[in-house]
Amino acid sequence: MNTASDANATIARMRGINKWYGSYHALRDIDLHVTSGERVVICGPSGSGKSTLVRIVNLLEPFQQGRLQVCGIDVGADQITRAARLEVNRRVGMVFQQFNLFPHMTVLQNLTVGPIWGSGVDRKEVHELAGRYLERVGLSEQAQKHPAQLSGGQQQRVAIARALCTRPQLILFDEPTASLDPEMVNEVLQTMESLAAEGMTMVVVTHEMAFARRVADRVIFMDQGQIIETASPDDFFDRPQSVRLKTFLGRVLTH
Amino acid sequence: MTTHFVRQAVIGARVAPATAPIDWRRALFPTPAMAVLSLLLLALFVALGWRFLQWGVVHAHWLGSSSEACPGDEGACWAFVVARWKPLLVGNYPSDQLWRAWTCFAAFALFWVWVVRRSHTASLQRVLLGFILLPVAFFLLLIGGGPLPVVAPTRWGGLLLTLVVTLATFATALPIGLCLALGRRSRLPIARWLCGGFVEGIRSVPLLAVLFVAATLLPLFLPSGSSMDLFSRAVVAFALFNAAMAAEVFRGGLQAVGRGQIEAATTVGLNDFAALRVIVLPQAITAVVPALVNIMIAVIKETTLLSIIGVSDLLGAVEIGAKSPDWIGQSNILTSGYVFLAATYLTVCYGLSRYSRRLEARR
Repeated sequence: MNTASDANATIARMRGINKWYGSYHALRDIDLHVTSGERVVICGPSGSGKSTLVRIVNLLEPFQQGRLQVCGIDVGADQITRAARLEVNRRVGMVFQQFNLFPHMTVLQNLTVGPIWGSGVDRKEVHELAGRYLERVGLSEQAQKHPAQLSGGQQQRVAIARALCTRPQLILFDEPTASLDPEMVNEVLQTMESLAAEGMTMVVVTHEMAFARRVADRVIFMDQGQIIETASPDDFFDRPQSVRLKTFLGRVLTH
Repeated sequence: MTTHFVRQAVIGARVAPATAPIDWRRALFPTPAMAVLSLLLLALFVALGWRFLQWGVVHAHWLGSSSEACPGDEGACWAFVVARWKPLLVGNYPSDQLWRAWTCFAAFALFWVWVVRRSHTASLQRVLLGFILLPVAFFLLLIGGGPLPVVAPTRWGGLLLTLVVTLATFATALPIGLCLALGRRSRLPIARWLCGGFVEGIRSVPLLAVLFVAATLLPLFLPSGSSMDLFSRAVVAFALFNAAMAAEVFRGGLQAVGRGQIEAATTVGLNDFAALRVIVLPQAITAVVPALVNIMIAVIKETTLLSIIGVSDLLGAVEIGAKSPDWIGQSNILTSGYVFLAATYLTVCYGLSRYSRRLEARR
């Protein structure tokens, strides 16, 4: 996937997606197109549907209307099967707010369990790969420790390495720094920035506005289950158009 | 005005002050009324202890081959326990085949020593595997066949029977219980209803009733000609009853594994089976091992119910012994047997409960 023609290839496309939780209309007419190598940041007030949107991209949540196309797999609202979810998840990585590392496994096992049990990759090959990604996130020394022995920032870096180890074409980040102590936020953001610099396709839900400005190709503002505004970072932060985004930025940026 | 404080030298860590030993005088005699209560209780304990010592040691009869060794009921008749050690341990197991019974006891003792000594490091899954494989091996060795002469379970008895029934119950109830717990979480409504109905149904019936059904009703339902002996039927009853208990324990363990774990397993590409096998079950089982040990303690004590339906476990062996021609006629003999029985169960169950505590501390 490195050829020039792939530069604008579609990685994910959402068309007319609607989602209800019971009678609550959580996502409304979502259209979104993410191309290879693109970094998309989604922000918005809590309850605006950001997390639900990224969780739909890898089918952790079902939706009731619309079509989703991810890494060449096309799924309609009534075609969400376990097989489809598995196919999507073998191509898409995810980093959660609560890390969700496997507490009964060492750091190294956390990285290798997916490729070994999921894709049946050769054990030796996976260990080599895992060693490389642990080095990437600066945690080679911690390979034999258990997650509980690491700081929050280190745990989240392990989670990033775990996602990388499945060789995804797209990584989703669902508020990756929201449950970290302030002094650990930067080490995680730096890891994400270096990923972005290498051309990884990323969709990031975050409240870190400075990160969005530095890294994003496109910033999306959501409110009440819909996409309100989409713009380049400069336009988004310096020339917001909608009243709701102006209000939101006013609340978030002035301290 | 706020003063601006800046610490010049960092305070080094100091050793914590020693905790004071218990002050017995303050603990037992804080007020006059409490002091009286303490003294009364102490006197009661001393009096009871003295009576028991008189009965169990001072006036006890230790040796002898019949009730004549124990005249009167002033002292315990340990002679009864000593003389009948073999039936108490193995029941009617044939004398020339006893090595098979001793092998079982020795193998279990070795296994138990290994489990306890490695209680901080041994993989719990391996311990559980041992508890499932051992009873199968014991059963095959005890019943014989092939080069070994067959010994019907009707001839097994005493502590041996208690051990085998306990282990066999454990070995069957745990896997069935796990399946029931998984069934209750199934996406198929029929599987959910069947498993839920079974668990709730069995749990609402006393074990004794289940045992009577197995002993008296079950043969009526079996096709004629099929012979299922009382021992096997009792084990089936125990297994099903405790499977329902274990199912509830496992259900709690499965619920304790968060949704995030399953989602994370999905996102690294594991299918449902792999997620269950390598992510959910290891965590769920580790969480419930202490509760499983509690079930085991319960099973050990429940085996005494076997004597009611005519299978001679340790309790049955005591009662049969007290009715044998040599020992019949003295209530004191039966009492001594019961005290011995209680002491045996106390030792075994207390040991297990200590082990369970150790496992809890490990986490």
